[in-house]
Amino acid sequence: MTIFATFAVKQKPILILFWLIFLSELIIRPAYCQDESLSQIIMTIIEEFAADESDPEATAIFIEQLHELSENPVKINSGDEDEISRLFFLNDFQVKAIADYIKTTGELVSKYEIANIPGFDRQTAELILPFVFIEDNSVISLPSPVWRNTLLTNFIIRPGENDTSYLGSPAKVLSKYRFTAGHFSGGITAEKDQGERLLDGKPPLTDFISGYLSYTGSRFLKRIILGDFGACFGQGININTGIHTGLSLTAPGYMQGRNETKPYTSTDENNYLRGGAAEFTFRDLGISLFFSRSRIDATPGIREDTSDFTVTGFYKTGLHNTSSLLMKKDIVTETSMGANVTYDFGFLRAGVLWSAGSFVPPVSLQSGNPEDLFDFSGKTCNIYSFYYNSQFRKVLSYGEISFNNLRNLAMAQGITAKLSDRLAVNFLYRYYAPGFHTFHGRGPGSGSNTCNEKAMLGNFTFEAAKHLFVSAGAEIRNFPWLRYRISCPSMARKYEIRMKYIPSENLTFDCSFTSRFSMLDSNESQGINGLSGTSDRLFRFSAKYSPGENLVLSSAVNYMISGHDDSRGMLMRQDIVYRLRQAPLTLWIRYCIFNTGSWYTRLYTYENDLLYSYNVPALSGDGCRSYAMVKWEIGDMADLRVKYGITTLAHENDLMENRDEIRVQLIVRF
Amino acid sequence: MIVLFLPVSVSAGNIYHLPAGAAEAGMGSVCVMQTGFWSSFQNQASLAFNNYLSAGINYENRFSLKELGTRIAGIIIPAGNASLGMIYSHFGYSCYRREMAGLGCGLLLSENLAAGIQIDYFTEKTPGEYGNHQAVICEAGLLVTPRENIRIGVHIFNPVPNSLRKVFMPVTIRTGVGIELDKGLFAGAEAEMSSGRRLVFKTGFDYEAVKNFRIRGGFCTENNAFSFGLGYTVKFLNLDLSFTTHEKLGITSCASMIFKIL
Repeated sequence: MTIFATFAVKQKPILILFWLIFLSELIIRPAYCQDESLSQIIMTIIEEFAADESDPEATAIFIEQLHELSENPVKINSGDEDEISRLFFLNDFQVKAIADYIKTTGELVSKYEIANIPGFDRQTAELILPFVFIEDNSVISLPSPVWRNTLLTNFIIRPGENDTSYLGSPAKVLSKYRFTAGHFSGGITAEKDQGERLLDGKPPLTDFISGYLSYTGSRFLKRIILGDFGACFGQGININTGIHTGLSLTAPGYMQGRNETKPYTSTDENNYLRGGAAEFTFRDLGISLFFSRSRIDATPGIREDTSDFTVTGFYKTGLHNTSSLLMKKDIVTETSMGANVTYDFGFLRAGVLWSAGSFVPPVSLQSGNPEDLFDFSGKTCNIYSFYYNSQFRKVLSYGEISFNNLRNLAMAQGITAKLSDRLAVNFLYRYYAPGFHTFHGRGPGSGSNTCNEKAMLGNFTFEAAKHLFVSAGAEIRNFPWLRYRISCPSMARKYEIRMKYIPSENLTFDCSFTSRFSMLDSNESQGINGLSGTSDRLFRFSAKYSPGENLVLSSAVNYMISGHDDSRGMLMRQDIVYRLRQAPLTLWIRYCIFNTGSWYTRLYTYENDLLYSYNVPALSGDGCRSYAMVKWEIGDMADLRVKYGITTLAHENDLMENRDEIRVQLIVRF
Repeated sequence: MIVLFLPVSVSAGNIYHLPAGAAEAGMGSVCVMQTGFWSSFQNQASLAFNNYLSAGINYENRFSLKELGTRIAGIIIPAGNASLGMIYSHFGYSCYRREMAGLGCGLLLSENLAAGIQIDYFTEKTPGEYGNHQAVICEAGLLVTPRENIRIGVHIFNPVPNSLRKVFMPVTIRTGVGIELDKGLFAGAEAEMSSGRRLVFKTGFDYEAVKNFRIRGGFCTENNAFSFGLGYTVKFLNLDLSFTTHEKLGITSCASMIFKIL
């Protein structure tokens, strides 16, 4: 009769008081709120990204870039291409289309006008909305020579966790400092992960530290960066330290964004370039050069044939909180260099790119297992690429072809066509040879490794009726060579259909169904392993409503069926975002209940979090996840965010397990 | 004894959640977005739409077993933009009794938004070694009307994090949307999930077949329960009757009377 024990409940007058305050606020204050930073589409993409798990760093990069944009929205009515191109998920032609539209027809009056611009649809416009600023920004002023500084500090701690193997404190600390002064900018990023020592080494520094100095010009010398930087050229097969396209099966397009080098401010400890980069433009000709030398993490080893010191694997998580993990820190010196030349013919933009990388000590990723046969082994890696983008009427075509040491091929070719005002289609074909190696590339749809894959992807978006949008996509991937836990060439499929109903600007219903088919070894007890295929199906529904400008309500239901063990997983959550009118406070509250049959049916749900931090927990088991976050805008000079989140898991015999965390962020501008 | 804790589609597994009134039970217990008398105690935001002093009684006879009967009495007192509601329920028999008393308040915050909260006091009495237990919890809800004929309801029962308790206490989240399809025809759908339970979907309709006479139907995915109901209005009195099936345990019937006093 354990049920009686449930009555051992404490009375919580604080909660009641909270509700009374909340309700009285609603009565007193009319609608007023703008703090809805991420649209539902972006939230969905992030959840899909996390669920894919093939490229975990990409989630962090993506969210960080979005945070940067939401902090500093694009002044879209400026019509300035450089300004608009900060919307990194737009391609060159979309940037140009917005700029041309504003120059020819005048300023946008409403954000929703974006959907009427050639090359855009409602879905892309929705993606942009949280990150653009319409009012009073028609003129981009010259860079102010005034020195402006921003200092951000995050502090994250999980009180219940206490791992004795940690070398340092369990708190995670991140600090970012940036300054701008006229054409110059610079910054330092320092991070200590959970369990790492705060200061270590000689000189004593945090586990990860990076910095840059940048000059942005307007004529021949477009940009020069000294320090840590990222780069992306063409479709990203050769060099792309940012996010790759092909995240969502129903994305409005898969063309990579603009060619660029940019200061590195992320906290991925291994995927950046350290040295110098410069961009030059001369009329329609653009030239970029870069050189980098950095130390990256790896697993050391000894070659059996020569007894030489070598590297047997790269270590990418960036965690150095135990003695064994600390041994992997900064093992390899990687030297990279490259040059990119691009020419704009108007309807066609084409470029060539060369990059070279070398490693000391040499790398030998071939462990002797058949699946590693094509993995990189050696000291140097040269990649030559040719890429293009072209637009002919309503058809956008783009592609890249790259060769690795003039032997192994990687290529991607895509088309985006707007067949009518209500129908747009996308196709993307890619082939990444098993022996193709790139250490800073992320080709379209490639996951964390741009190799051993041949895939075709297609989708369409159709405005089926007034306010009703239907999109669907399918992707078929073949893997010509063996993979981890797959002892034969294999394949995977993914299908998705999504419906979105937007009866008014403040009400949105979104529903999607995704099916994934994948193959794994069937674990035969005798003989050669065969392959067995399993299908996972995920249904999502969400509704978002904003009764006033200061209040956003959203509800969501996720339901998943896994073919691995035929288990079911389900989740239901309710979110409230509320901004007080008379005090500069914004509140985020979530309550989520989940129940999954196994780890295979775990469900990912995006959470609002600190800026430049993210949280997409994988919810598994039987329990609740809730959080409350408050943001206090202390004038123009500072923001303070405090978040408390707790996950309660129910185990057998009414045993409860609670995992809570506290996250604090202070941003100071001076 | 197990049957005492067996849900019959009204509360998706949370035995502490008040059963739906007869009118709502007839349409598959779809009630989070409804504005009727009994719905006001399922989503307290609905209290704001009850502008009459009214009182009601409800009796649910689960699986035709008198030991599993639930008796409910409630009263709603309007007060300007707000309405107060009081409710009492009694479940069980001499060997096991569960009682609940609640005090709720619903407020009309704007033309298209209402909110409400309720404080509940539970007692559970069992003779012998198990003893008696008490608890206080709260529940809250929102009701929004994005369009004249569309209503969306959200409700959370017992939102206090379980970490603040010694043991687990079920939480329930419900959300639903309803639409007035035609004059006299209302249809709604609702999703509900409780701690440790599966997600449940419900759908139902309410149709005024002839003046003052309503028929209702619904379906709930928990136990594949079908519902059917009738309602009749005589001046100040509403009479409702409903029947809900269970895959294995038979039929649950429910009857209620609501008096509009002022």
